Amino acid sequence: MSAGSSSAFAARGLAPYLFLAPAALFALVFLVGPLGFALWVSTTDWNGIGAARPVGWGNYRYLFEQDPFFMRSLLNTFLFAAGSLIVGVPLALGIAVLIARSRLQSMWRMLFWLPMITNIVAIAYIWRFLLNDTNGLLNRALDLLGLPGPDWLTGINWAMPSLIMVSAWMTLGHNVLLFLAGLNEIDHSYHEAAELDGAGPLRLFWHVTLPLLRPTLLFVTVTSLITALSSFALMLVMTEGGPARATTVAGLYLYDMAFTDLRLGRASAAAFVLAAIILAFSLAQFRLLRRGGVERH
Amino acid sequence: MRPPHPLALLRYAALTLGALAMALPFADMFLGALRTPQELLAVPQVYWPRDPQWRNFARVFDELPMATWLANSVFVTSAITLLQLITSAMAGYALAKFRVPGTTLMLRLVLGAQMFPFFLLIIPIFFLLRFVPLLGGNDLWGQGGSGLLGSYAALVLPFAVSWYGIFLMRQFCLGVPDEVIDAARLDGAGEFRIFLTIVLPLIRPGLATLGIFVFVYHWNEVIWTITVTRGASGLQTLPVGIYLLRGAFADQSTEALQRAAICISVLPVMLVFLGLQRFYVRGLTAGSVKG
Repeated sequence: MSAGSSSAFAARGLAPYLFLAPAALFALVFLVGPLGFALWVSTTDWNGIGAARPVGWGNYRYLFEQDPFFMRSLLNTFLFAAGSLIVGVPLALGIAVLIARSRLQSMWRMLFWLPMITNIVAIAYIWRFLLNDTNGLLNRALDLLGLPGPDWLTGINWAMPSLIMVSAWMTLGHNVLLFLAGLNEIDHSYHEAAELDGAGPLRLFWHVTLPLLRPTLLFVTVTSLITALSSFALMLVMTEGGPARATTVAGLYLYDMAFTDLRLGRASAAAFVLAAIILAFSLAQFRLLRRGGVERH
Repeated sequence: MRPPHPLALLRYAALTLGALAMALPFADMFLGALRTPQELLAVPQVYWPRDPQWRNFARVFDELPMATWLANSVFVTSAITLLQLITSAMAGYALAKFRVPGTTLMLRLVLGAQMFPFFLLIIPIFFLLRFVPLLGGNDLWGQGGSGLLGSYAALVLPFAVSWYGIFLMRQFCLGVPDEVIDAARLDGAGEFRIFLTIVLPLIRPGLATLGIFVFVYHWNEVIWTITVTRGASGLQTLPVGIYLLRGAFADQSTEALQRAAICISVLPVMLVFLGLQRFYVRGLTAGSVKG
């Protein structure tokens, strides 16, 4: 054993740790540290400038018992998430099924993908212009048909459905891509066998494709739900939560609480509540969709 | 060729309708950028510009700090992309090819960390950056100034490492044969030389995938950038600058300029995407759906 080889061994022993050092340091400074800090802030009345007084569970209790808008913002969040799932997932599945059986797959996929590479400010303004009460393309088209156009973004009852529509449009390509990946994994022999048995396209989809697509369906539903529950960029840029808080989702509410009102304690508590809700939802959904039926194919 | 099945025709008709619904909003945005102020103020507004104002795309550079925003977007996005490529490749390689105490824990961290939503971290990271001692006019206790908030570091550092990126690079490094690495070791190559000259070239497709993914994502990032640069106009990126300066477009006759600026903010990503589409798609499907 020469000194050289043992030092080489020492270097190799240290190497993985050096490779991991940046990530480990980052985890400490930008993940563990901030999470601990936020947890502590959520038990104080800190306003970002002065001293922080401990208030225990006070902020959490305040959110549920006294805060006039927190429950409303949670309701808006659920409304937005439910709408996005109900509109977005079946639409994406349908389009993916159509694309999977067509030529020029990558061209179709790319077209539906366009909004996914567009910044949210551009998306918000594209749709603000399209949905403008008087000059927007949509209401002008409705006008030509002799139909009264709704006040898409300024009407209290219309703003949330409008946002759901824009969000579905924006995320469609992502879900189409995932469904396509799932569809391409399905063994063709299943379809051929069913077709030989005389199954029509609808029965084929319902009894063969859909059950085999279950893992993808689960994945798409869970990720869409998590994304929808935690998203607020679209609301911030497009409606700023209005009109009359109709589109103030929980994420936006706590963001404003922190950076406009400087109520950091309450905002941090709200952030943990929302994170806990998202975690609970995704766990429940996994259980529900896993139970009974194909676990893996 | 046999004639197309009627069902197939229906399918293509539906797909074309869907594609129109995706493309028309972009076309509407672009058309509007070419209108004259008179056309914008007319009642009803003139939809199809009769005298296309191509100048509008140049005018936004004269009348808005577009050049600064564009430079900031390019710089911040490139810096984040470069940093994430380096940190992801390093950590991904270590997690794929070394079995030493701590790697299992780190892998769990990489998978678990992706579960924390950004809204949970945005408040504490903002204030931690603000209270960095001795920087940005702060004293030893982090008081008095703005810390790192008024600097590019505030835009770049919180995204220096991506847990998704590490995971993706680990998947690619797993495909590097052990024999190649061991042979290099027998030849006396040091661990860092092996990483630089053997591993990195072999995972180049993975790096391309991650690079384009990160570039597109961070070019479009707005929430964090709005939060940090609300009071630091010199640091704003293209989308954020356009958003925060929305008050300047309150007059309807300037709508075309706002639309032109937005078109310009979308264009670079579209070009990058069209050029490198195959890498991008691979990054999105890698490791997501495992039936």
